[in-house]
This record gives sequence, C-alpha cells and structure tokens, in this order.
Amino acid sequence: MITKTVTLINKLGIHVRPASLISKKASKYKSNFMIRKDDMEINGKSVMGIMMLGAGLGTELELFFDGVDEQEMMEEIVELFADKFGEE
Amino acid sequence: MKALTVEMLFELKQKDLALTLLSKKKGLSKEITTPELSRPGLAFAGFTDTYAYDRIQVLGETEVQYLKSLEPSVRYDKIKILFSQFDIPCFVVAKGLFPTKELVFLADEHNIPVIQSRRATVALYHGVSNFLQDWFAPSKSIHGTLVDVFGVGILVTGQSGIGKSECALELVSRGHRLISDDVVHIKKRMNIIMGEANKQLGHFMEIRGIGLLDIETMFGIRSIRMQKRIETQVELIPWRHNMDYERIGLKDRFNRILDIEIPIIYLPVSPGKSIAAIVEVIAMNHMLKVYGHNAAEVFNEKVQKEIERKNKIRTYLETDKE
Repeated sequence: MITKTVTLINKLGIHVRPASLISKKASKYKSNFMIRKDDMEINGKSVMGIMMLGAGLGTELELFFDGVDEQEMMEEIVELFADKFGEE
Repeated sequence: MKALTVEMLFELKQKDLALTLLSKKKGLSKEITTPELSRPGLAFAGFTDTYAYDRIQVLGETEVQYLKSLEPSVRYDKIKILFSQFDIPCFVVAKGLFPTKELVFLADEHNIPVIQSRRATVALYHGVSNFLQDWFAPSKSIHGTLVDVFGVGILVTGQSGIGKSECALELVSRGHRLISDDVVHIKKRMNIIMGEANKQLGHFMEIRGIGLLDIETMFGIRSIRMQKRIETQVELIPWRHNMDYERIGLKDRFNRILDIEIPIIYLPVSPGKSIAAIVEVIAMNHMLKVYGHNAAEVFNEKVQKEIERKNKIRTYLETDKE
C-alpha cells in the first residue's frame, strides 16, 4: 500500500470534470484507490464519491493506493493533481 | 469528530432549550469530552469518591434548594472545595432557577460556565443528552448504495463497477426510494445504524455509459429519502463457477458495521440477472424473518416431519406379522 498526501492547487477545486478524470484514470487499474478528507473516506474510482468530498483550492487530501499496480496508478493520479487536471 | 466546546453547545441549543448565560464568557471555550451527564447533588454534600466531574453538571430543583438551605458561608466553602478539586466543564441549571450567587461567583473564578435553561429538569436533561449522544455517535462514510425497499433499509455494497448504482436505479424505477448512491454517511444511534444522504449534493447517481442522473427530478419526491436505518447488507460479488454460494439460508451471516451486527447476503451477479427483483425478495424475506417466519426453517421442519412419518409407517409395517 502507498500513501500520498496532495494539496489541491487548481482554482476551482474538484468539480465534475476533474472528478470524472480522476475516476476514469483510476478505473484503468486493478488496485484499490481511496481518498480521505478529514473523517470522510471514499472510493477514488467513483465520481459521486469524489465530488462529495467537496474539495476546494488548498484542501489536503490523503490518497491510498493498494494492489498489484499501485505504483503506476499512484504516479498517474499524482501527476493529474500536479497538472491541475489540465486546467488554466 | 469535531471537538465540542461549551460555546458550541450553547449556541446550537440556545433557542431549543431556552438558554441564558449566567456566568462570564471566558469559560465558554471549555471542551465537553463525554456524552454523559451528572447530577452533582451528592458531590455538593461532600461525597466525591465517584464524582463524575468531567461531565456536564445538571442542576435541578433539588440541587438548587439544597444549596439554598445552607448557610452562605458554609455554601461558599463547600463549593470552593469542590471547584478547587475538580475541573468541571460546565453547569446547566433547569427551570430558570438561580443557583445562588456564591456558585456563580466561584464558577467565574474557576472559568466554569454556568448556563440557565427555562426548561423543566427532565426536558433539559433529555434535550442535552440527545444532543450529546448524537454529537458523540460514532460515524463514518462507507462505499455503497442505500435504498429503502418496502421500508427495509438495504445497503448494497461491492467492488467498483459491479452494478450497485444500476441495481439501485432499477429499484427506484420499481417505486423504491434512494437514500444515497456510492457514498453513505453512517451514524450509530443507540443500537441501530442510520444511513444518511448527502444534504448538500442531493440525490444524484452515476450510471456508466450515461453519466450523472438527478433522481429527485427524474422520479419525483417519492423516490428519495433523507435517512434510513440499515437493516440488511447485500454484497454483490462476481459470479464464479465453483464458488460455494448459500443454497438454503438456514444460518444467517453478519457483518459488523460500527460494532453493530447487520445481516449480510453475498449475492453473485452475472449478466442478464435481475438483481433488483432479488433485492426485493431479500427485503421481503427480511420482513418475514422479523415477523418470525423463516422459510428455510419452515421447510426444514416439513422435511423432518415427513421423515418421521415415513419412519412410523416403516416400523409399523415391520412389526406387522400378518
């Protein structure tokens, strides 16, 4: 299992488009992917879950990757956050 | 769970419990750490061996009358000894009573807030207690979909993409009610688990291939619900050829959620199978069990009776020497 903390740096936070991007990328992999914000933990492969986090600019999220392809999955997802989901 | 200060309690329940602050404001930042309450009558009288000082102290008529019956100097000394020994979070006084000026003065000196309520003691006690129980209730969010099927709260779980949302959608279109899709906030209340919808985002659902659906607008207000007790869990699992699935149902299986046992059914799914119809049957079967009718047991009894009957006939025929 890999744990990674990311901070949201895009202005609009995780709205519908980034949420679907994250879940789409995550669904390509076999590993489990969970996202935690405060005391809320959701499945990173689910669009509804990601949007319910209501994560805005500056929010810190903990990402958990667990499974056979966790390393590749982690790299791609973290890259997505760093890239501001292709926005701006 | 967020830390609860006396100030938060005061502000959230001010209207409901008709609260007024008798002491100065400086003690309001004190933290409340337990959902239990204490009636400190015996502690005032001097018996402090088992004094639950870390709880909110509720003063009713009895406690206030007792304090008033003491000589002012005795009263002052008793309260002073108590306050210097114990770190009390706050006092709540019922019936709009004034708990003597010595108590309020000493409370201010020790930064203990004193709150007065116009409610009767029992109403105040339950009001504060219910609020605290709810605040301190263990809670978390889980991955799953919660649907009310014939009044039975059914939590559908299973790995991503197995068809939880599709199952819920079919149930909703059959007239059942959606509480929450994908993420369910659960809370332990007494000995039940309550599942709640997301209050801000409402009742949306994601169906692969279509995208987001607004269930409330599409199916109407009768198709949604804000909260529902979770009574049965249905875990959808991929169908595998040689796996040992439940065939009879004589033994119930349970899953522990927040330390409460919820009956769980492992349901193998394969393409073309109507999971919604099966979930309806699971709900009805659950109700039958609640009303004392267990199909597997009834069937088992019938089989046993039949075996017994056949045995009787056989023994009769064997002893028949005609």
